[in-house]
Amino acid sequence: MKNLINFFKSFLLLEFLKGFSVTGHYFFARHITVEYPEEKTPQSFRFRGLHAQRRYPNGEERCIGCKLCEAVCPALAIKIEVAEREDGTRRTTQYDIDLVKCIFCGFCEESCPVDAIVETRIYEYHGEKRGDLYYTKPMLLAIGDKYEEQIAKDRAADAKYR
Amino acid sequence: MINIEIDGKQIQTENGSTVIEAAHSAGITIPHFCYHKKLSIAANCRMCLVQVEKAPKPLPACATPVAEGMKVYTHSEQAVKAQKGVMEFLLINHPLDCPICDQGGECTLQDMSIGYGGGHSRYHEEKRMVLSKDIGPLVSAEEMSRCINCTRCVRFGQEIGGQMELGQAFRGEHAEIMSFVSGAVESELSGNMIDLCPVGALTSKPFRYKARSWELSRRRSVSAHDSLGSSLAVQTKNNRVLRVLPIENDDINECWLSDKDRFAYEGLNTADRLTKPMIKQDGKWLEVEWQVALEYAANGLRQISNGAGAEQVGALATANSTLEELYLLQKLVRGIGSQNVDFRLRQSDFSTDGKQQGAPWLGMSIADVSRTDRFLIVGSFLRKDHPLLAARLRQAVKKGAQVNVIHSVDDDLLMKVANKAIVAPDSMVEILTQVSKALTAEKQGQSASGEAGAIAKSLASGQRVAVFLGNFAQQHPQAAQLQALAQQIAALSNGKFGFLGEAANSVGGYLAQATPGAKGLNADSMLASPRKAYMLLNVEPELDCANPQQAVAAVRSADTVIVLSAYKHQAMDYADVLLPIAPFTETSGTFVSTEGRVQSFKGAVKPLGEARPAWKVLRVLGNLLKVEGFDQDTSEAVRDEALHGVDVATKLNNAIGGVEVKAAPSANGLQRVSDVPIYATDAVVRRSAPLQATADAAMPQAWLHGEELKKLGVQAGATVKISQGQGSASLVAAADDKLPRGVVRVAAGHAATAALGAMFGTITVERA
Repeated sequence: MKNLINFFKSFLLLEFLKGFSVTGHYFFARHITVEYPEEKTPQSFRFRGLHAQRRYPNGEERCIGCKLCEAVCPALAIKIEVAEREDGTRRTTQYDIDLVKCIFCGFCEESCPVDAIVETRIYEYHGEKRGDLYYTKPMLLAIGDKYEEQIAKDRAADAKYR
Repeated sequence: MINIEIDGKQIQTENGSTVIEAAHSAGITIPHFCYHKKLSIAANCRMCLVQVEKAPKPLPACATPVAEGMKVYTHSEQAVKAQKGVMEFLLINHPLDCPICDQGGECTLQDMSIGYGGGHSRYHEEKRMVLSKDIGPLVSAEEMSRCINCTRCVRFGQEIGGQMELGQAFRGEHAEIMSFVSGAVESELSGNMIDLCPVGALTSKPFRYKARSWELSRRRSVSAHDSLGSSLAVQTKNNRVLRVLPIENDDINECWLSDKDRFAYEGLNTADRLTKPMIKQDGKWLEVEWQVALEYAANGLRQISNGAGAEQVGALATANSTLEELYLLQKLVRGIGSQNVDFRLRQSDFSTDGKQQGAPWLGMSIADVSRTDRFLIVGSFLRKDHPLLAARLRQAVKKGAQVNVIHSVDDDLLMKVANKAIVAPDSMVEILTQVSKALTAEKQGQSASGEAGAIAKSLASGQRVAVFLGNFAQQHPQAAQLQALAQQIAALSNGKFGFLGEAANSVGGYLAQATPGAKGLNADSMLASPRKAYMLLNVEPELDCANPQQAVAAVRSADTVIVLSAYKHQAMDYADVLLPIAPFTETSGTFVSTEGRVQSFKGAVKPLGEARPAWKVLRVLGNLLKVEGFDQDTSEAVRDEALHGVDVATKLNNAIGGVEVKAAPSANGLQRVSDVPIYATDAVVRRSAPLQATADAAMPQAWLHGEELKKLGVQAGATVKISQGQGSASLVAAADDKLPRGVVRVAAGHAATAALGAMFGTITVERA
C-alpha cells in the first residue's frame, strides 16, 4: 500500500509542486531582505552601538570619574585614570574603551550615575590597523559632541521606562 | 553569666554586657552606626533598634543591658520596620553623591541602605547643607553634609585621643560636627577618625580622589616607624602605595594607627628618591650600572682595609632598618675584619655594653601595659614618641592606674598624671636616686616628702608596677645609671622595668648583633675618632646622629663613604657611592618590636626604578668582597640565620650590673634638652608632605622658661642665636614656664638644628 502511494506521488510530481508552491509564495510575498548598505533596518532607541561620552549643555564633560563602569564592565574593556582638577572636582585624565574587548552589553551605560558614557546607534565603524579600535577620551567626547542631538532624543524616549 | 535568647538562639553572656555585644559574640549582626566596641555608648543613630519581648517599643541594642531570660528579635517585623524607618530618616539629609564620595564602596551607610533603605525617597524638600571645614592637612572635612551625627569622631577624641578637638554644636537639624579651640585637629591619632567615620564626612586628605576602594589590593605589613610594630594593611594600585590602614590586632595596636604610621607612605615616592646607583668621579655624580657601583664600593672598602687596616672601616645603620639588613651589614663589616658597627645612633652613653645581659626591651608585652596599675615613665616624650602606647596608658589611667613622670619637659600627656618631677637633665640621676631611697623608706613604713616621696608612695601602693625608660632616658649621657636606677626601683616595687624602644627595630638591632662588641667602636666613638671609610645604611648623619656636627665632620673627612639609601640627600656632598635601596614597602624583612615580637613582612610593591632591597645589595657586596657565608637566597634565610633558631624571648633581658651611680657634676650655663619631633624621626616620615604640613612638624623653636628669657633679655617671639661647639642656629625663642630653669629645649633631627652639636650638654643662647 505504502509503495503504491509513493508511486503515485512521484508519478504526479506532487513534491515538485509542493516545493514550487513555497517558492511561489515568497515570490509574491512582501520582501524582507534589506539591501544594505542602500537600505538599513530600523533601530530601537535602545540600540547598543559605538560608545560616546557626553557633555552638559554648558560644555562641561559629564563624567565624574566614579569608575562604576570600569568596575561593572564584564569584559574589562574600560580603563580609567582620575585626578583632582584645579577646581577641586574629580575628573578623568584617561578614559579608554577597547572596542575589541567590548561585548556591547550596555552595563557601563546602565551603571553611569550621570549618563556620561552612552552607547549610540552607530555600528558602522572599523579599524584598519591594530589599535584603531582603542577609543580614547577625546575620541569618545568627539562622538558625543557630534551625535548629542540623537543621543539626547534616545535617552528621552527611554526615560519613562527607567 | 546570664542566659538570653536572640533570634531563637540561646546565648550565654556576661552580666552587664549589652544586647549588641551579646549578638556580635554569637555571630548575629545588628545594623549600627554610632556603636563602636572601643568607644562609649552614645545610642544616637538608633539604627540598632531591636524588638525585645515584653518591651512596648523597640530598644537600641547598643544601650540595652542584657537581663536573665531576655528574648530579643533582631529581624522581626517590628525590628526591621523600626530599622527601615531610621534608615529613611538618615537618608533624608544624606546627599546621594556616592559616585564622587571617597567612602563609596566601603561605606557603612551605603551597605546598610542596600538592606534597609527604600528604593526611592519620599522626601522631596530641600536637603540640609553643612559647610565644609578645614581641619588640617590629614583629615578632610570637605563634605560635612554627609555627616549622620553619630559622634564617633567626637568620642574618639575625648576617650582615645585624650583631647576633644571635634564637637557637635547646635541642635536638631542644625547639629553639626565642628572643630573648636584650635580650629584644626592636631592629635597624633587623628587619622583614626577617618576609619571611624561610617560615612564619607571625614576622609583622608592625602588619599582624596586618588582611587576607589575596590581598585586597591591589600598587603599585610608592619609599621617601620615607632617600636610598637603596628599591623598595617598597605593598599596599592599600579605598583604604588596609595593608602595605609590598620589591621586589628588587640595585642599591639587594637584597631588604631598613629598618624605617623598612616600617612608616612606619602614620603615613599617623592622626587628625591634615589632610583639609580651613582658614583662620584672627579667631583661629578654619574649614574652607573649596579655592577659598576657595587665593584666601586667593594674596591673602596678593600683598599681601606688592606691599606689603613680594617679597623678604619665603620658601619652605621638606623634602627629603622630591617633585621636582615642589620645582620648582613654587621656580618659584612666583621667579615672584612672590623668590629665597628652600630645602630644606636642617637645614644650617647655606651657604658652598658658588656654589662647588659640581653637585648633591652619593654620588659612586658604591650597587652600587659593595659593591666599595669602603677607607671613610672622616665624621660619619654610619650605622646609623640609612642602615640599608641600613650593611648593605652590613657585607658589604663581611666581604669584607675597612676602614671608618674620624671622628665626634663612637662608636655601635656592628655591623661591624669599622678605625680611628676620635672628636672634638668643633669638632675635625672639624682631624682631617681631619691625615688629609690624613698621606696626603701616606704618599705620600712616611713614616707618621704617631696616629689620623689610622692612618686615612691604611688609606686609602693600598686599591684603591678612598670618603670619605663623613654627615648630621652636612652639618649641621656647617663643612660646606664638611669637604667640601673630603674632596675632598682622596679625591684623595690616588685615591678618590671623596660625600654620604650626608639624605632621599629631597636630590639632587632641587638638580636642582629649590629653592636660593636668588646673590640669595636660604637656609634659615638666611631664618629668622634673619624674612620677612613664609612658605610651608611639608611643614615642621614646630620639628622639621625646624636651629635650631627661630629657626624658630618667625620663623614666629610673620610676617604670612602658608601651610602645605602632610598633617597638622595646631603650625602651627595660627601659620599662616593650611592646605592639605591628599597624602603619597607618595597622589600621583605623583619622587625622585632619593643615587646620582642618578631614580625616578618613581604614587599607590597616592586622597588622603584633600579632600587633593590638592601639585604640583596649587602649580600652581593659580601660576595664581591669574598666574605664567607653570603649565599642566602631569601630574606627568610637571612632572618633564620640571624636568629639562630633560638627563641627570641630568651635573648631579651634588661638586667644590668656593675654600674656605679654617681651624681653628675652640675653643668654650667644652659643645658640642652632635645626631642626628636614626631615627624622627624626617620627618612620616610621626614619626606611625607602631609605630615610635614601638620602643627607637629612646625619649625623648631628654642623653648626656655620665661624667667630664663627675661634673664637673657629676649622677648618670646624674637630670634635667638643658639650655639653649640662650632655651629650655631637661628631659632625663634619661645617661653614654656613648665620647663625647669637652666634648660633650653631645642629639637634634634631637624634641618634647622642640624648645625648644632650633641643632643645633651651645654648650649649657649644669645640675642641674634
